[in-house]
Amino acid sequence: MRASQINRALDFLRDAFREASKLWWRFFDWVAVVEWRQLMLTWLFVFIFCGLVRTPELGVWFLFISLAVKVLAGGKRRAELMAKEATVKADVANLERRLMEAQMAALQAQVEPHFLFNTLALIGQLIETDPPEAARVHAHLIEYLRSTLPQMRARDGGTLGKQVELSRAYLSIMQARMKERLQVRFEVPMYLHSAPFPPMMLQTLIENSIKHGLEPKIEGGTVTVRAFVAGAILHVEVCDDGAGIDLHADEGVGLANIRERLQLLYGLDAELIMHAIPEGGACATIRLPYKMMEDA
Amino acid sequence: MSTQDGRVFTAMIADDEAPMRDLLRSRLQTVWPELRIVAEASNGVEAVALGEQHQPDIAFLDIRMPGMSGIEAARRLYARSHIVFATAYDQYALDAFEQGALDYLLKPVSADRLATTCARLRTRMRMQAQAPAGEDIGEQLARLTQLLEKKAPAPTGYLRWIQAQVGSNLRMISTREVLFFQSDEKYTRVQTAGAEYLIRKTLKELLEELDPDEFWRIHRSTLVRVDAIAEVTRDLRGRHMLRLRNYAGELEISRNHTYLFQQM
Repeated sequence: MRASQINRALDFLRDAFREASKLWWRFFDWVAVVEWRQLMLTWLFVFIFCGLVRTPELGVWFLFISLAVKVLAGGKRRAELMAKEATVKADVANLERRLMEAQMAALQAQVEPHFLFNTLALIGQLIETDPPEAARVHAHLIEYLRSTLPQMRARDGGTLGKQVELSRAYLSIMQARMKERLQVRFEVPMYLHSAPFPPMMLQTLIENSIKHGLEPKIEGGTVTVRAFVAGAILHVEVCDDGAGIDLHADEGVGLANIRERLQLLYGLDAELIMHAIPEGGACATIRLPYKMMEDA
Repeated sequence: MSTQDGRVFTAMIADDEAPMRDLLRSRLQTVWPELRIVAEASNGVEAVALGEQHQPDIAFLDIRMPGMSGIEAARRLYARSHIVFATAYDQYALDAFEQGALDYLLKPVSADRLATTCARLRTRMRMQAQAPAGEDIGEQLARLTQLLEKKAPAPTGYLRWIQAQVGSNLRMISTREVLFFQSDEKYTRVQTAGAEYLIRKTLKELLEELDPDEFWRIHRSTLVRVDAIAEVTRDLRGRHMLRLRNYAGELEISRNHTYLFQQM
């Protein structure tokens, strides 16, 4: 009992000390940066107040201490504070630079040369064996390139609808290659198509599902893309019934890039969540604040 | 139809993408009409099964296939069948092939290249009659496997995902998201920038499974992600305290772990 009382008293003392030192440094900073004119005005008020309560010594002490602080530490402290402000500004600039870099990385990662090469090869041989199918794949490829190549990207690339369209094109190409091993399901209601959504995130999640979930699995499986709003949060989900997440495999650049961009764009309001499905397979969900359409 | 000695050669095609099988079959029919394609497989496991069943003279194997890679399948089939690999653009594989004497085709397969390969196969098979390649091919395949494995960053064996039960969901948390692990009485707390989870895995188990360069133990009950560390300070009682990026609180560093931060 006694020990706990002593502890409590110690805790109180420590807190009081911490508060007092905080107050003192706040006062110190104020004195250091305040204008001389304002400081003198304050002295006047303090003297009037001290005169009223008949404690002139207090006023003298105040004058003496603040004068000393102002003269001795004023310049240095002011420089320090200005440096701090500059650092904060630099941090903001740094943040902006990181966001840009992350977006650039996402842009560059977009069209994997492998994918382009394989698709062209596929078209080349479908021309011989199945010309109508070749025409279909060719059309999908054009659509895919139109929305992925930065130079070709339309203004409204940042809506969920645009991202879904791009993913459909990509998945159609993959279906032409994987045939019955790849089934696709979209559950994205029309009214969500105009909602703003960052580019290339859905695409990365779908590529991951195919690469790590379905391609290693002999019988293949289904990729399901789902979007819904719960509360004020937009959920966009990519699920597969494939091989599941290998607990010892690193999450990879794709997911890390999505997480980084979400953090830079939305802070703690957005997140990327992975979960395993008991029957096998994995789900990746992006949650971010829902807006009906892009700000004008 | 038959070759000079009256024998009809047989072949198997293995590729997980049906269009690729179609193309190779139609090309083979043009450049080597006598060749009989006895089996087509769509994955590595099937390739081995069909290869053992039909014992084709030639096996065309795609390298990247689900279930079992083409190279792995080749190691089981090379004693009975001549192996020809087919691969899409893949610099590492090509380098490996250039060094060895293995046959390979670049996808999409061109008629010219296929004709050359087939001509070479015919002469070789006629010369060797029935004695297929021996030790040498096996050795080359082993080397190829090694080469390709080196290229793909093999899982290091360290735990990279933490599983946490959240309601009825099994949440997967990448270790890159974790700020620290802290042991509670019965559970271990997993802290990320935005959330907190409880898992049953003990700190001791985590310590054994996690990458020691990724997480440091700073206290009997705390494992912290090295990348997340912001600074070390001392409080009024002289304890070393650790502050993390994206986390408001402080973590205590116990006396016998302060050596970790001596240079910081």
